[in-house]
Amino acid sequence: MIEKVLIANRGEIALRVIKTCKALGIKTVAVYSDEDYTSLHVKHATEAYHIGEAAPAKSYLNQQKILDVMLSSGSDAVHPGYGFLSENDDFARLCEKNKINFIGPSADSMNLCGDKMECKAAMLKAKVPTVPGSPDLVKDVDEALDIANNIGYPVLLKSVYGGGGRGIRLVNNDKELKEGFETVTSESIAAVGKSAIIVEKFLEKTRHIEYQMCRDKHGNAVHIFERECSIQRRNQKLIEQTPSPVVDEETRERIGELVVKAAHAVDYTNLGTAEFLRADNGEFYFIEINARLQVEHPISEMVSGLDFVKLQIDIANGEPIPFKQEDLKMNGYAIECRINAEDTFLDFAPSTGPIPDVTIPAGPSVRCDTYLYPGCTVSPYYDSLMAKLCTWGKTFEESRLRMLNALNDFYIEGVETSIPLYKTILKTDEYKNGELSTDFLKRYGILDRLKEDIKKDKEQNKEAALAAAIIHSEYYKSRIKSNPEIDRHWKNKLGSS
Amino acid sequence: MEYKIEDIESVFNAEVFQKLGNSEYLVKINDNERNLKILTMSSKGLEFVLDQKYHNVKYLDNTTSQMKIVVDGIPFTLNMHQNLNEIVYKNSGEEAGGDSQISLRSQIPGKVIKISVSEGSEVKKDDSICVLESMKMQVSVKSHKDGIVKKIKIKEGTTVAKNDVIAEIE
Repeated sequence: MIEKVLIANRGEIALRVIKTCKALGIKTVAVYSDEDYTSLHVKHATEAYHIGEAAPAKSYLNQQKILDVMLSSGSDAVHPGYGFLSENDDFARLCEKNKINFIGPSADSMNLCGDKMECKAAMLKAKVPTVPGSPDLVKDVDEALDIANNIGYPVLLKSVYGGGGRGIRLVNNDKELKEGFETVTSESIAAVGKSAIIVEKFLEKTRHIEYQMCRDKHGNAVHIFERECSIQRRNQKLIEQTPSPVVDEETRERIGELVVKAAHAVDYTNLGTAEFLRADNGEFYFIEINARLQVEHPISEMVSGLDFVKLQIDIANGEPIPFKQEDLKMNGYAIECRINAEDTFLDFAPSTGPIPDVTIPAGPSVRCDTYLYPGCTVSPYYDSLMAKLCTWGKTFEESRLRMLNALNDFYIEGVETSIPLYKTILKTDEYKNGELSTDFLKRYGILDRLKEDIKKDKEQNKEAALAAAIIHSEYYKSRIKSNPEIDRHWKNKLGSS
Repeated sequence: MEYKIEDIESVFNAEVFQKLGNSEYLVKINDNERNLKILTMSSKGLEFVLDQKYHNVKYLDNTTSQMKIVVDGIPFTLNMHQNLNEIVYKNSGEEAGGDSQISLRSQIPGKVIKISVSEGSEVKKDDSICVLESMKMQVSVKSHKDGIVKKIKIKEGTTVAKNDVIAEIE
């Protein structure tokens, strides 16, 4: 039985795992880099160990160092979170060798899932449909050009070792393909030290729909419904929701059965995600398995009533899945917005720095998984996800309105955020009507609509802004000091009215 | 005092019209009188009630002529001047000359992965000058105009901050 878990990660996901462990009476071990001395995961864990410099390669990707901490701290299990070492089968194997319970799939299964070509072959064998593309790794840029011209542009260049939207480029012609080939190769080498590229047909107006899959060490498998993650930028998800507006009960079951087949086909254990593209004609094509706990898992927790980290730990302990497929009932509607530190109008470029002030939203059926606190810092060394804001509602509309309120209440000072963008998206008729596609932002001119919304917001608040400006000038002119007595007087008055 | 709010066309006239008490004012915004009660105040922020509505304001960055503030979560940039109309006119005139601008600046902080040109290279608008890595993404910084690279201000492997000059292109 797992008694002490090392969390080989940082940020909100480390905190998320610590929360469940605490509730289960399991001790937690945090690891941190030079950049994370004051991070929340360090403060909340039972124990915390420094593992190196800020650069991920020197800390959160340093397998030997993390193993040393596991052994010296007496950890009997490791939770890899997402990103970093979560889908590194060498690390999973290293844990297996050292009798550390890796909370996730076996190294062999992970290796199979991570090899996009072998995984695709396994799916074809199991009769799970996949996207047209290169039958194998492409040797060089010339072969990529051949295949692209054969299946027709636009095509996607994908590094088979990439993931989470990195090491992937959409190209429309020979010139872009040549450029993209180089960047994908170097991004992949920078991230994981190796590169191998496949070419895949890019389907127009597709939806990204994925299924939560779950399989135990005894071979029992279930799916825990779908998530629609079509709203993306640069192939990275921004907003997710469950259920998908285009998945009815019949489809849910039909594709769900494919997902169970997929889990068996790669001998998957623990929780994972099977990602599909849904073409405009309603066809589903398998794209890949994410062999880890997914960023957007909270929305599935909300509609299933399950604690996924607990389920992961139970399965890692060798227990059978404690329910059957028919026991699972989908309850209500959940939405997640990924609150990123980025400048929407600078092509989503990262925005980093100290956060002097932050207000975390709360309320009925509002959940915010975040590492933010007033005085923390958003580091340029790690990814831009600061918070995952999730809301649940009995109806989609209730969930949507709760999200809009929560976004309004979320105040982050110091960096640019994706919050204004989400407010605009959630207010569009296209979003309300579920007309989603992976090119949603471009298709519906969302950035121009965001500019309009920002103008409207300013128009509405201009008098307050002007009043604040003149009071500020007045303050420096006459040096009015804040008077605590008066402050209290007015606060009381306001509170009682 | 006259104010110009970024993104809003018109120029506003706003002033303290009358001081009613130690923390209560009558302010005038474009000839409309508003009652303003200060709840808390510091160099960093201000909480007040304007007529019947509560507002929370953060002062981010101030110079004598420009003010960056956040009002109820919405960021504002205000320019102020006694005769603002003239200034606005002058500024926009100057900024229109994008082509005459020499310095190419970085819009993001990041590490320099690769420099694609050398001093003396001829470049076209949108040609990649260098590749930066930030938050695991690689982003190329593109030339803002046609010209000749006069000077490269960065080195491979070093980091640049937002607004740092990358190169001078003439």
